[in-house]
Amino acid sequence: MVIKVKNLVKRYGDLIALDHLSLEVKEGEIFGLLGPNGSGKTTAINCILSLLKYDKGTIEVYGRQMSPDAYDIKRRIGIIMQNVAVFDELTVYENIDYFCGLYVRDKKRRKQLVDEAIEFVGIKDFVKFYPKKLSGGLLRRLNIACGIAHKPDLIILDEPTVAVDPQSRNNILEGIKRLNSEGATILYTSHYMEEVEEICTRIAIMDKGKIIASGTKEELKGMINSGERLTVELFKTDSSIIDGVLNLPNIVSAEFDGNLLIVRSIKGKNNLLKLLDYLKSRDIDVGKVYSEPPTLNDVFLEITGKELRD
Amino acid sequence: MVLRNYFYRLKCIVRDRHSMFWTLMFPLLLATMFHMAFLNLSNGLNFSQIKIAIVDIDEYRNNTGFVSAIEAVSNTDENQKSDALFNLKYTTLEEARKLLDDDKIEGYIICDSEIKLTVKETGINETIIKSFLDYYLQTSSTIGTIAGVNPEAVNKGLIETLSDKADYLKEIAYGKSEPDSTVVFFYSLIAMTCFYGSFWGLKEVTALQADLSYEGARLSVAPVHKMKMFISSFLAAFTVELIEVFLLISYLKFILNVSFGGELLYILLACITGTFTGVTYGTFIASVVKGGEGIKIGILIGTSMTMSFLAGLMYEKMTYS
Ligand SMILES: Nc1ncnc2c1ncn2[C@@H]1O[C@H](COP(=O)(O)OP(=O)(O)OP(=O)(O)O)[C@@H](O)[C@H]1O
Ligand SMILES: [Mg+2]
Repeated sequence: MVIKVKNLVKRYGDLIALDHLSLEVKEGEIFGLLGPNGSGKTTAINCILSLLKYDKGTIEVYGRQMSPDAYDIKRRIGIIMQNVAVFDELTVYENIDYFCGLYVRDKKRRKQLVDEAIEFVGIKDFVKFYPKKLSGGLLRRLNIACGIAHKPDLIILDEPTVAVDPQSRNNILEGIKRLNSEGATILYTSHYMEEVEEICTRIAIMDKGKIIASGTKEELKGMINSGERLTVELFKTDSSIIDGVLNLPNIVSAEFDGNLLIVRSIKGKNNLLKLLDYLKSRDIDVGKVYSEPPTLNDVFLEITGKELRD
Repeated sequence: MVLRNYFYRLKCIVRDRHSMFWTLMFPLLLATMFHMAFLNLSNGLNFSQIKIAIVDIDEYRNNTGFVSAIEAVSNTDENQKSDALFNLKYTTLEEARKLLDDDKIEGYIICDSEIKLTVKETGINETIIKSFLDYYLQTSSTIGTIAGVNPEAVNKGLIETLSDKADYLKEIAYGKSEPDSTVVFFYSLIAMTCFYGSFWGLKEVTALQADLSYEGARLSVAPVHKMKMFISSFLAAFTVELIEVFLLISYLKFILNVSFGGELLYILLACITGTFTGVTYGTFIASVVKGGEGIKIGILIGTSMTMSFLAGLMYEKMTYS
């Protein structure tokens, strides 16, 4: 077990930021911590890293109690924080070299590592730039390079893709998968369910300082009652159609969005076929048809009664 | 790693243009401005001799006591002194009147049975002439009185004692040399610059502390000894500020020619202590005060201004006694 958090409680005055939070991250996985803004993801990470004092609970990293001077554990960790943490007065190269130097003393080895990190995030053309001159996406990549240059075994990323253009985002997500395939264990937090769904092997969903569900994405989706989401393009919209659809088995909701009929179902067989049969029986012409499996948003919605995104 | 951190922090500090301006350029600019202001000021303070005329009549010539008294403090055509109080012309009465009318002189003196001063307006120069005459009259009448009562005293050096005009005159003449008080401004300026080391102290602690900056958070999760990092960062700040102070002193001494007397070594020692204190103060404010960097910088500027003021940067007569 790489990280083992048990019954972690963290209060800010009256606010309970972490409410008996427990989670386990296993060697070699990409563990996703998914939760809306303010759910306590950053607080949890900071506690795990001993940047914050907590009120209750235990935190073990690599089987040992984590503490501010647990240097041999710290040496194996790389962090990429939510906010870009680089020195404005140092160039791209100097920043990576400075932070890498906190872990690796040997000059030759360090130079090699820094060059690899630069290559890895693809900012070779910008090594002489100062951070202020970099675009948002490049700055994020520099931020990542500073966190991973020393080749850590455990990489903790706290929303590394916030406010990043799609190209850099893909670059970052690909990079994370690559680091994982090279052997690093990843703890990844985000409030973008698509990202978490795309790269994480195991996911914990957080809300208000608690883990409300965890497992692989299939397991999570299996936990809930929601089935697929059906979308059908119609050429005439008529409220009697809604009433008719709602009478079909397994259907939870039906509504129009323009000329699209959007139907949510619970788990069951042939939901789409039954819907199409009904429409055909009423002689309603049908255009495009989609069926989407439930998303993590549906999981969140069903458990908390609210949308994941605000 | 301590050494690496030291050199990287040096880079970070020196490349921080904004703070470099305040800690280096600003004091240099202030020094230059002070220097120029004092140049004008000391020109203004320069004591210009008061032009007077004496009506050249026999009664005056016979009053040898008065002649020697006034010639001792005056420039005449035959006798030029650098620290003279008056610029003296001998004229006839008509000439004297005309000179006064044309504002060529401040006043003229007629010395017959008594000494009379004629002036056109009242001002500082007129007052000085009158004070001199009063002083002379008072002294001579004292001598007369004492000599009447106790003639022996005259032989015992009474006149030398009482006619101690030299002192009286010297004091006024001091105004001519550069006012000593200006150096107080420069001392306070140096002190202020030492104190500005607090900006670097603040910067270094901010860069190190996890709750003050994101870079600090990154450093805090690294397997490094916090105290060692702090010491090397502190030394980087100290180095830069000390060099800045020395640059300022060199500028004052060699470019502006401010004379610090023979105390330079002590000044340098005081600067080392002062810079250390300044940087430490910055680290103190950075760690103790809750709030953003803006508030902390505000506190640093506020306190250093107050202290510079108390030290005499704004008002050189500020003394502690
Ligand atoms: N220093 C602090 N003092 C008081 N409250 C805090 C502090 N830091 C965080 N909080 C509160 O704790 C809760 C959890 O915050 P946290 O930053 O961990 O959320 P998050 O999941 O990381 O959110 P985001 O997606 O916005 O980063 C929030 O309600 C936040 O307002
Ligand atoms: Mg966060």
